[in-house]
Amino acid sequence: MNLIERRTFLKTSALAAASAAAAARAQSPAPPTAAADVLKWDKAPCRFCGTGCHVKVGVKDGKVVAIAGHPDAAVNKGLLCVKGYHVGGILYGKDRLTDPMLRRNGVMEKISWEEAIDITARRIMKNPAGFGFYTSGQSTIPEGYAATKFMKGGLSNNHTEPNARLCMASAVTGYISTYGVDEPAGCYDDLDACNVLLMWGNNMAEMHPVLFSRILDRRERGQKVTIIDLGTRRTRTSEFADHYLEFRPQTDLAIANCIAQQLIESGAWNKKFVENHCAFRADADITKPDLMGVAISFDDFKNRIAEYTPEYVSGLSGLSVEQLKMLGDLFADPNIRITSTWCMGMNQHTRGTAINRLVHGIHLLSGHFGKPGDAPTSLTGQPSACGTAREVGTLCHTLPGGRLVAKQPHREQCEKHWNLPAGRIKETPGYHTVLLFEKFCTPKDKGGDIDTIMVQVTNPGQTLPNLKKLYTAKIGLEDKFLIVSDVYPTASTEIADLVLPAAMWVEKNGAYGNSERRTQQWFKMVQPPGQAREDVWMTIAIAHRMFELGHPGMKDKDGKFIFTFKDDAGNEVPVWDYAHFHDINADRVLYEEYRPLTHIKHKHVAPYDELVKATGMRWPVVEQPDGSYKETRYRFVEGEDPFVAKGKGIDFYHSTTDDGRAQIWFCPFERHPEEPDTEYPFWLCTGRVVEHWHSGTMTMRVPQLRGAMPNAYCEINPADAAAAGIGNGDDIIVATRRGEITLTAWINGRGRPPKGSLFVPFFDEKRLINNITLDAYCPISKEPDYKKCAARIRKA
Amino acid sequence: MSTISRRDLFRSMLGRHAEPTAPSVALPVSDEAPQLALILDRFCLAYQGSFCSVCSERCPENGAIVVVQGKPHVNPDFCTGCKVCHEVCPAPKNAVFLVSRKPRQGMVARPTPEPESP
Repeated sequence: MNLIERRTFLKTSALAAASAAAAARAQSPAPPTAAADVLKWDKAPCRFCGTGCHVKVGVKDGKVVAIAGHPDAAVNKGLLCVKGYHVGGILYGKDRLTDPMLRRNGVMEKISWEEAIDITARRIMKNPAGFGFYTSGQSTIPEGYAATKFMKGGLSNNHTEPNARLCMASAVTGYISTYGVDEPAGCYDDLDACNVLLMWGNNMAEMHPVLFSRILDRRERGQKVTIIDLGTRRTRTSEFADHYLEFRPQTDLAIANCIAQQLIESGAWNKKFVENHCAFRADADITKPDLMGVAISFDDFKNRIAEYTPEYVSGLSGLSVEQLKMLGDLFADPNIRITSTWCMGMNQHTRGTAINRLVHGIHLLSGHFGKPGDAPTSLTGQPSACGTAREVGTLCHTLPGGRLVAKQPHREQCEKHWNLPAGRIKETPGYHTVLLFEKFCTPKDKGGDIDTIMVQVTNPGQTLPNLKKLYTAKIGLEDKFLIVSDVYPTASTEIADLVLPAAMWVEKNGAYGNSERRTQQWFKMVQPPGQAREDVWMTIAIAHRMFELGHPGMKDKDGKFIFTFKDDAGNEVPVWDYAHFHDINADRVLYEEYRPLTHIKHKHVAPYDELVKATGMRWPVVEQPDGSYKETRYRFVEGEDPFVAKGKGIDFYHSTTDDGRAQIWFCPFERHPEEPDTEYPFWLCTGRVVEHWHSGTMTMRVPQLRGAMPNAYCEINPADAAAAGIGNGDDIIVATRRGEITLTAWINGRGRPPKGSLFVPFFDEKRLINNITLDAYCPISKEPDYKKCAARIRKA
Repeated sequence: MSTISRRDLFRSMLGRHAEPTAPSVALPVSDEAPQLALILDRFCLAYQGSFCSVCSERCPENGAIVVVQGKPHVNPDFCTGCKVCHEVCPAPKNAVFLVSRKPRQGMVARPTPEPESP
């Protein structure tokens, strides 16, 4: 290799890989390389987390062969995390599911798609009310929409749930009970403008790395931004924090109240903002909390909050009085911009709704709201928890566009839009996730009235809490039928009766909605392997088979099938017949049918054809006089949000009290139902690691990611390890009241847990930590608490 | 440590027992040809604005790879050239190179002659 060859080699190899990101971030166009001529590039949002990075996907010979961060994407500006760079590899694990399989006499046998669809349709027909559809925050928008229409509009059955119940439900109830409408008012631009980033139990460096690097980039440019990590264990994020404030699990409730108490006590609360835009609220009966509560007066609020003095809360939380006063002083300062972020730390909480309300409350009380950099913003875990689960409404109590099944006008609007007879949609909410699986795992004669569940795009066999009770208890029960659509064998397919092979990510068309209200679209780029097919097709095919079998719910008012697909010439296309599924873009038809439904709550998602042109657009997206479409950065803010009238300044136009006001809630500190005691002396926390996505179904098939993080482990404090005679790398047994599992001890690990606490990631299907987690949940959001339960350890 | 190499010991700790290791010929960790890990920042995720510390976490030598403000650094005094860091590096272009500790032929610097005064 002579010098020139060598230099060219180094240059091309470097550009083809990680450093492409660096070049892209510097806003230089990607230099043409030899490879660019034969590769075909297209765009897609990353398959993994709620950040919503956009990637460029390079396809050659029908295979995804290259991935690069999209340089034009506002979210990631060309950067990706370790998972993102390897996202193409998830398609090519050796054990992709390629054929529908039915369990006959305990053995999985290949069957045809026709048979699989027929079996499913007949099974649902047998007992339509006992059918549950379990979807995902990773389902695409059209998938979620088709599922919701099929279930709620077709079957008159509200037992449809997304796994987002386990992930974002508390954020939803927090937003709705505060602003009257779901989803953040702010966006990622706040990270570029804030003076203080306050992370509430949020390990952004590990879970949303690309977002966190946005903040660190500002520091490198010489800007001053104070990072505060309010957490229960040291994480990768803590290393970059100016202040690491370690509190006892569950006392975040008291800390938020303490900030409010200081604001009131010192008189530093923003009187003008509160007088004009806020009202006070609390639960009528704290033993029976509900979503909307009752109005209370300011004096009442003041009296209730008064006990949360820094001295009192210091005793509860373990933070010092000085640390609590620092937080109070920050919110009291009107001249700085504060962005609060959170994710599962606040949502997976037995008082998840309460802590969400309280964090919104301190932002409203202090007036740190509605200016760039001043925002309380929840980050979503999944790529379309917002876009699909929350906006489309695949939760058991919701309908598309932020509607509720319990509200007569909302049901009526959907029935009209879908041309259904009045009264088709049932008014009682279905079972929430934990209850749905509990009913499925309970014998029929003991009240287990769910007998069939269909699962799409998620892996409940690994991710539900307390798995023995909520999943594996199904084994051996009579007349319970589990249908799982997935891409690889998982803990869920393991006990399924019917397994359907699914297409994934760029093997199908799709649209996602990320944490900051950004809707993103992509096209199918490669063929799925074998017989694998699109999830949205499965739903429509099952519905159509039921239509053929005469199910009355699959007919609209005029007796026609509830899903209609027409080509540009207006001819109907039978997309349920897979031979014709790709004759038109079914995604576009479903999305455009869904889009008008988003207008009632002013969540105007962008037209499909606009999304094709963009790397995502943040709703509300409204047409301008010149025919172009404009996205919205800040909701409820005059000049930014097109639905705030001139002169209003700030307008919470979906206020629960119909007066343009947001609610500042009082919620007391309440203890966790399973605190450590002498028998089980440790707090056990679970979560993710940067290398793996959720249950590892996809990322464990990527050699680089599996190699970097091959097994789940148990992070343990050195003092606790020494006391138990545990050395680094020893096998240990972690036990809770629900069972025990063996794990490798990692002293300190990535997180450096405080004394008396453990951390275990949940990605490892060989070491299912959810066999022993707690299934207690927030009474309002019904979201379980995976972050806290009592455990004990011993050397194996 | 006669029957099991340090590298194997470490692998077993985090569960990579099954993978057969290459014969030691491929990985000389002897005094004759000592190697040293070198992290190339243009390929390393941690230096490119993403977050990663896998090389440091899996390094079997205490203090050989330290992470400062999220970025890994090799300490040549402790690195044995065992190559674990190279094997586990998850960057799209492997960022860890093993380089010779001895200067290569032709790479020895010579003192430059003093410029003549005008």
